[in-house]
Amino acid sequence: MLSRGTLIYIGQRTVLIAFTVLAVSSIVFLGVHRLPGDALFSERMHGNEYAARLHYYHLDEPLIVQYRDFMLGLVRGDLGESLVNKGVKISPLVARELTVSAEVGAFALLFTIGVGMLFGVVAAIRQNSWLDYLLTTTSVIGYSMPNFVIASFLLLLFAVWLGNVTNGAYYFAIGWTGTYGNIGEIWLPAFALGFPYASIVARLTRASMLEVIRQDYIRTARAKGVREALVVIRHALRNSLIPVITILGPLVIGIITGGVVIENIFGIPGLGKEFAQSILNRDYNIVIGVFTMYAAMIGVANLGVDLLYVVIDPRIRY
Amino acid sequence: MATAAPAATTELLGTAVRAQSNLWADAWRRLRRNRLALAGSLYLLLVVAVALIAVVWTPYRMSAVGLVAPYEGPSLAHPLGGDTLGRDVLSRLMVGAQISLVVGVGTQLLVLLLGVPIGLAAGYFRGWFDGAVSFLINVFYGIPDLLIALIMVFLLGPSLTNIIIAIVATRWMDMTRLVRGQALSLREREFVEAARAGGAKPAKILFRHILPNALGPIIVQATFGIPAAILFEAFLSFLGVGIQEPTPSWGSMAAQGIVAIRISPHIVLAPAIALSLTLMAFNFMGDGLRDALDPRQKR
Repeated sequence: MLSRGTLIYIGQRTVLIAFTVLAVSSIVFLGVHRLPGDALFSERMHGNEYAARLHYYHLDEPLIVQYRDFMLGLVRGDLGESLVNKGVKISPLVARELTVSAEVGAFALLFTIGVGMLFGVVAAIRQNSWLDYLLTTTSVIGYSMPNFVIASFLLLLFAVWLGNVTNGAYYFAIGWTGTYGNIGEIWLPAFALGFPYASIVARLTRASMLEVIRQDYIRTARAKGVREALVVIRHALRNSLIPVITILGPLVIGIITGGVVIENIFGIPGLGKEFAQSILNRDYNIVIGVFTMYAAMIGVANLGVDLLYVVIDPRIRY
Repeated sequence: MATAAPAATTELLGTAVRAQSNLWADAWRRLRRNRLALAGSLYLLLVVAVALIAVVWTPYRMSAVGLVAPYEGPSLAHPLGGDTLGRDVLSRLMVGAQISLVVGVGTQLLVLLLGVPIGLAAGYFRGWFDGAVSFLINVFYGIPDLLIALIMVFLLGPSLTNIIIAIVATRWMDMTRLVRGQALSLREREFVEAARAGGAKPAKILFRHILPNALGPIIVQATFGIPAAILFEAFLSFLGVGIQEPTPSWGSMAAQGIVAIRISPHIVLAPAIALSLTLMAFNFMGDGLRDALDPRQKR
């Protein structure tokens, strides 16, 4: 599988990712300096306190010098220091948050693919039955609802209503106890994050299953007396996978960006929460760091998906 | 399925000849029979009406603070209650409908203005222009929507126009790619060749011969583009980088309400339900249009 061509391809893509990350962080770096607001200034400061703070962060230097220092730091993997919390290094902070986001995203992705394909297959083999209509309508509802709407409905249902009904004996606790969530904390955010995409996967699976299930080789398999479950799983599902795989890239990106909203709603200490928080705090150094991380994460995710194509579809070679 | 040709005509002619049909009449007939699409269109008419009414009249001033006790639930005087600052939720919801429609339709109009000519020219003339356009499309597809939009908003500043521009920057590729593909396949067809042989100028071939034949997919794409744009605006506003206070957007209203979900869920529910229904209506309509405009589905 890892032929020489593939390795060269990985190399090329890695260089491309590096350039994208540099470009994105440069644009954000320059853009952020045009924004109003200042995290360092306060009315309670006297004398040259403000100037001293500016000097501490090298913000009193010309922009081009700041940019050069930023780039030199970035190449070494150093994203600088938080403007609001003096002394907090950004690189380890966002690196840890990245893994938290990745954990939620991975659960959401598992859910998306699992539930989406199950719904799609069931709807296809029971085409035009009430079950099909129910699942198809649910999926239109699913991808029409923004994830924050789904999240608020889920919160109302599981965190508020369920708590009221059981007198507070059982309900979903919003928030995060440790750095990483346990399964009890993670399932609801993962559901809210994955549901819209599960709907899209279900629709695609249904459409391609319907196409495949009328093929001659399916009839042949049935005529041979292969059990129905085996026909569906081994013969039909495998071949209807291709269209689903083609949206895997947008799907992963959708889950990554959707995480920004979901993490803020559910109080998950990941990259998305930091993102909104840092914009609110005008902590521009963290804003730049978060953007840089996102660009890197999305680049790597895209590469991963493209490599997965090779594994799943042997016709694709790089 | 049986054709819907009037029984009387069939009897008169004595054969099962169908009345001559054209694409648009057929499509309209099929669309009318799609109940979900019809329900969606009716709901959208309602939203448009509400948005138009909100231009001249809302029950209360949408930015007036302290009209109701903050967080107060629905009452007769305030059917949807008050928000966290004691503003009337119904009035804000009505103005929010305006914002959503302006963003959705405005974005899609700009996308059409941008995507159709560029796509047509790229697909028809090929050459370096097509290469450049295809390269740009791939670059934009490579960068995630959120990053593009946020960078645009950062650079331009958040205002209604700039948000529309930012969303167009994330959406123009879909339409351009579609139109380019259509032009690419249609340019090889006989009727285009005939027009060329007849001495028609490229502009005439593009807009009189190729464009009308690509109109079906373009309409469907535009219909699906509107809810996507509305969703994206709500997403940006929810994050606080979209429409700014005091102008309400369904997204920012929901963001405001979600922190109070435990004590007064109506603040988040009102915009959330309005937004979901609107997006759903557009999607059902898009589904209906796609089925209706597909000439392979003769029923």
